[in-house]
Amino acid sequence: MTGKEEIKEVRKYLQQSHDRIFENNKKWAEEMRKKKPEFFTDLSAGQAPEYLWIGCSDSRIPAEAITGLEPGEMFIHRNIANLVNNIDLNVMSVVNYAVRHLKVKHIVVCGHYGCGGVKAAMTPKDMGLLNPWLRNIRDVYRLHQDELDAITEEEAKYDRLVELNVYEQCRNIIKTAAVQQCWAKNEFPVVHGWVFGFSDGLLKDLKFDHEGQLKEIQKIYNLTQEQDG
Amino acid sequence: MPTYIDPIDHILAGNRTYQQHTTQCDPDAFTNLAQGQAPDILWIGCADSRIPETTVCHCKPGDIFVHRNIANTVHADDLNAASVVEYAVTHLKVKKVVVCGHTKCGGANAALGDADLGQTLNTWLHPVRELRRRHKIELDKLPSDDARSARVAELNVQQSIEVLKQHPAVKRAVSERRLTLHGLIYDIGAGQLKILDDSGSKKTTGLWSPN
Ligand SMILES: [Zn+2]
Ligand SMILES: [Zn+2]
Repeated sequence: MTGKEEIKEVRKYLQQSHDRIFENNKKWAEEMRKKKPEFFTDLSAGQAPEYLWIGCSDSRIPAEAITGLEPGEMFIHRNIANLVNNIDLNVMSVVNYAVRHLKVKHIVVCGHYGCGGVKAAMTPKDMGLLNPWLRNIRDVYRLHQDELDAITEEEAKYDRLVELNVYEQCRNIIKTAAVQQCWAKNEFPVVHGWVFGFSDGLLKDLKFDHEGQLKEIQKIYNLTQEQDG
Repeated sequence: MPTYIDPIDHILAGNRTYQQHTTQCDPDAFTNLAQGQAPDILWIGCADSRIPETTVCHCKPGDIFVHRNIANTVHADDLNAASVVEYAVTHLKVKKVVVCGHTKCGGANAALGDADLGQTLNTWLHPVRELRRRHKIELDKLPSDDARSARVAELNVQQSIEVLKQHPAVKRAVSERRLTLHGLIYDIGAGQLKILDDSGSKKTTGLWSPN
């Protein structure tokens, strides 16, 4: 193929992949309207989701689809390796809005086995712009170094790091003023840690002990008392 | 009388239904997904629960790499979104970057008013509130708050795209392999996506025309 033809082919492909999204969207909107004529009118009245989902950006884990929830039911933040960093204004704004304004009842941190972000973080290599973000995962490793070093099988070690990363992010959510203050008043939101597996398509509950961890964390990170004025 | 279902049991049950349904349609679905991902599109959208990107685009798991935050805002100094863009563009080599705003956006609505949302959200929404100031004359002429909020959502999408164009990975991919950026608005009341005419490089390449 000449260069020009190649460009033409690429353009055709891009056009098709683009058109597909719009065609699909139209089809979906029609189907939903057929099932429930007032569906979109109801949605435009506002949102009152019960859940906040903090998951990985990975294309294979569309949160609503894998939990069977409909539009309007789950507030979503997705980033590389589902991290919750206390100086990240982006995720902190999401947690703040979901807890203080939407008053969600549950916060789910969902990681997944085979996470490219976690893998990248454990690669002994300069990852450029990604270094500061991935550093958080290396820190999780360091916090659990004894346990992880003891696992000899590479795949098992990596799976366990994925789980421990979820655990630590659940703890990070509990460290926020928004969650602690809301919990003191209402006994919600409850924080959950899950991992999604591609091998079976199922969510695994890591049984994060919300109340126990909150107590433990507040020995140091207690922000329950509200700001003055 | 409706019986109470624990909300967590509800979504875990939903996941089992999804898993069974997916396996019935394609017994190899999960084996294939486990091989890896090669999405064509990076979607930067609002955290709003009413716009599940893969569902509203009727796409399949594996099709769209996703970042969602309050009001689909991209700040130049935000490492979270910048890391997502870096990973998607440099490592996954997505072909398109989409920023999708929407009507009835809580973030856009909040930016139209001066309510104190707390330090965190005030800071996050500051660039969106700045849009209101910069486009005051145009916005004042609009007939309703809904219309003003929809227009702010559009302006915000364009602003996010301008910031994205300065991302080093995006710059490189635009010149080396014709990565394109596109602005969309999702109309919540109609369930439909609309492409913003003057967004991205659509005009110059003529690639993106939905009709
Ligand atoms: Zn991942
Ligand atoms: Zn929104």
